[in-house]
Amino acid sequence: MAGKLRKFSSVGVIALLAGTAPLAIGLRAGAEPLTSFGYGTFGTPGLIDMPTAETRPDGEFGATVAARSGDTRGSFAFQILPRLSGALHFSTSDDLGPGGTTRDDRSFDLHWQVLEEDGWRPAVAIGMRDILGDAHYGSEYLVATKTLSPRLRATAGLGWGRLATKGGSGGGTRPAADANGGLNSDAWFRGPVAPFAGLAWQATDKLTLKAEVSSDAYLDEVGAGFDRKTSVNLGADYRFNKMLSLGAYYLHGSEVGLQFNIALDPRDPPAPSGLEKAPLPVRPRPAPGADAEAWSGAWSADPTARPVIQRTLAEAMAKDGQVLEAMALSTDAVELRVRNETYDARPQAIGHIARMLTRAMPATVETFTITLVERGMPVSSTTLKRSDIEALENGASNELLARAEIGEAGAASVTGAAFSPNDDLYPRLKWAISPYLELSNHVEGQDQRADVGLQFKGRYELAPNLVLSGTLRQKALGNLDESTYVSPSPVPHVRSDFAEYQKEGDLTVQNLTLAWYGRPAENLYARVTAGYLERMYGGVSGEILWKPVDSRLALGAEVNYVKQRDFDQHFGFRDYDTVSGHLSAYYDFGKGITGQLDVGRYLAEDWGATVSVDRRLANGWTVGAFATVTDMDSADFGPGSFDKGLRISIPLSWASGKPTLATFDQTIRPFTGDGGARVEVEGRLYETIRDGHVGALYEDWGRVWR
Amino acid sequence: MRPLPLLLCAALLASACSRDSAEIGGGSPSAGGVVKATVSKVLPSREAKAQAEAAQAVTPEQIAAAALQSIKGPVLLATLEAAGATTVFGQQGRNGAMRSYATPDNRGLVLRDGMLAATRGFGRDLMSSETEESAALILAREEGTARRVQRYLDGSGTERPVPMTCEIRRGETVTQGPITATQMIELCAPVDAQNSYLVNEAGQIVASRQWIGPKLGYLSLQVLRD
Repeated sequence: MAGKLRKFSSVGVIALLAGTAPLAIGLRAGAEPLTSFGYGTFGTPGLIDMPTAETRPDGEFGATVAARSGDTRGSFAFQILPRLSGALHFSTSDDLGPGGTTRDDRSFDLHWQVLEEDGWRPAVAIGMRDILGDAHYGSEYLVATKTLSPRLRATAGLGWGRLATKGGSGGGTRPAADANGGLNSDAWFRGPVAPFAGLAWQATDKLTLKAEVSSDAYLDEVGAGFDRKTSVNLGADYRFNKMLSLGAYYLHGSEVGLQFNIALDPRDPPAPSGLEKAPLPVRPRPAPGADAEAWSGAWSADPTARPVIQRTLAEAMAKDGQVLEAMALSTDAVELRVRNETYDARPQAIGHIARMLTRAMPATVETFTITLVERGMPVSSTTLKRSDIEALENGASNELLARAEIGEAGAASVTGAAFSPNDDLYPRLKWAISPYLELSNHVEGQDQRADVGLQFKGRYELAPNLVLSGTLRQKALGNLDESTYVSPSPVPHVRSDFAEYQKEGDLTVQNLTLAWYGRPAENLYARVTAGYLERMYGGVSGEILWKPVDSRLALGAEVNYVKQRDFDQHFGFRDYDTVSGHLSAYYDFGKGITGQLDVGRYLAEDWGATVSVDRRLANGWTVGAFATVTDMDSADFGPGSFDKGLRISIPLSWASGKPTLATFDQTIRPFTGDGGARVEVEGRLYETIRDGHVGALYEDWGRVWR
Repeated sequence: MRPLPLLLCAALLASACSRDSAEIGGGSPSAGGVVKATVSKVLPSREAKAQAEAAQAVTPEQIAAAALQSIKGPVLLATLEAAGATTVFGQQGRNGAMRSYATPDNRGLVLRDGMLAATRGFGRDLMSSETEESAALILAREEGTARRVQRYLDGSGTERPVPMTCEIRRGETVTQGPITATQMIELCAPVDAQNSYLVNEAGQIVASRQWIGPKLGYLSLQVLRD
């Protein structure tokens, strides 16, 4: 058995180190990121229009709306890494478009704090605004912020581009922005430079007052009638609580604006250790001398013993929100195949089962192997010694981890006994009805629209790894059908007809698929999905993934044959069909950072690659960014020239304090074009298995005694 | 699938409803529930306050008397000072010196030789603690210095140890009825926690006031039946 189960520590070093850093309780560490008092009008750390060298709390997701007469800017800001933040803006400005029309603009900013504040040294940051496209806000800056007193901070910096339109000097001429919406890298940090400065004073814990000298001449706005009387902007922020704040600002001595901010700090959930009930405690065995019969192993000769034990255990696990799929029991060892349907931190599921086993297993059973199963595929086997569980109960989680063995889940049981499946589980029917809300995509010249209605989701499991599932939607009310957007795309409309699909709400089949999952060989996972894969495509999707349980690297391949569905999302198809597919590499960089590279053919038969980076905290909160570049002409793609976006996944357990696998997922794209589009398939392999593999198990191990 | 629940579900627009033929778990939290939980984070609930006040109306003595009648085996009376709520815990399991207790609504706490070893289900739980050095002095009613570690899950979900150094002092010895007990005080730095214990002549903690953690504050414990 020891040969089959290996012990891995490489990935765990980071988790173990993380576990030894002391928790700061009211103690200030030396150098630390300088967290801003509030937000600038760009939703990133800043004063009003000018940036500062501050950051937001690590992982924070913020949404802000800044509005003044005739000009509204909505922003989503992510603190991607402790010192790196990104923001997407959607703005609407009256009279600034060609010929005095309304200008809708999207822009993307990056802000990196190069140096943290330390002693006499100020924090220093470098940033770029409106990196892509027509660059109405295109500018770069180098900025320093210094704490003068705990409540007063001063900022001074140099700006390029739009931030050098007032008081700029030297540098020659700045190259023009890329008209096709590509990267404006020719223009970065080129042209005249101008200084800017400002102060932020936290008058009370709730109120912050701000003043700045702006180096932005507001050239377009002045051209449309804005009266720029002075370079000084004034502002005030009022924080209602950790989540909500309201700001007001007075721009250039002429206009007043308001700003509303919502911030979700992933490191500040309402209940970090959860509100769920206490787990069952360990029941230690009697000493061998005290109860010789219990230790005799005579029970193993009794054929009725195993079924009784299995039934009792399955009932206890069902109450705990877990499914016992099969059990293999020998005199001294037991292996369970478990489908966890409740705990987003898998070690918590393992910890609960380990304690239940101390209550259910005869005294001679010393080795517990808990094999996590996802969609019928055994994903990993965690082996714990019963005596370790008895000795280490409610101790440091690392001590148990050091004695746990986590290895590849084999087809046969490590106990040597055969698996006895729990027969009465399949077929299994699950369904749920819930309300849904659908919002229109942000499209130039179109109002924001929405539908609400009822959604039916059903799953019929014929076997653990063979699942028929579907989602139906019936619109109740809304105005998505009033959209007048017609895709201007000159290439096949593989995604840009989204408005045509959104207009239909009469009992639409969002998806209806039959999916099969399997483990063809050691370290290999496979999936075949057929049917109505998503609202725009039906067909067949096949995938294979290589991922050793302790490996940072995973490799995958996917091939899809798909046909475009009718707009009404019933059962008919349109004319367009294609074969798309990708080779993928995934890498776990540690500290929750995962990178992914997909190379292959996309839906519009364009060839290219997607790069994604995701950051996941142990509590499941994930933020990520992706970009896809293909051989499609950037002018054919439309504004932005290639597909890119930000995505966020918030575990509902984070918000509610109750364990659940459910998450709130959102992908934000500045523009939906036809290039770099992939078919959406539920249950792709990497995301299905990763939480049960060594990296995630180590990261979440702190919940094993929870 | 019967038509009636379907209809009921359709009527209950505000919350999701679901069925599972295998009846696993208590169902996942509904969208409505999550919104409520999030809202209650932003706006402190009047309901919760009213409930806490109602709970206060019953005296701890009444709670204790009722608990001793209804619960078999060892019973603790506990007051979470920050919430002002008094509850009873019945012993659920025993593993060496460690005893696990649970309330009727399944919140848990673990004591090791009477010293708080862990809590469960309070949202900002004490995940575990190392109290052996302190316990050796306190149970022997001796003064001295001890190291102690308490562990918590931080906001991102990672377990963090908080190491402390504690100074243990002996207070007065009091006699109340048949019990003679010595007050022991444990002052822990750098968190500035002050635990106090009443230790009887057999070296058992009969009552105590112990610091759970930064958000939950102090827990007062009294052994009703050992």
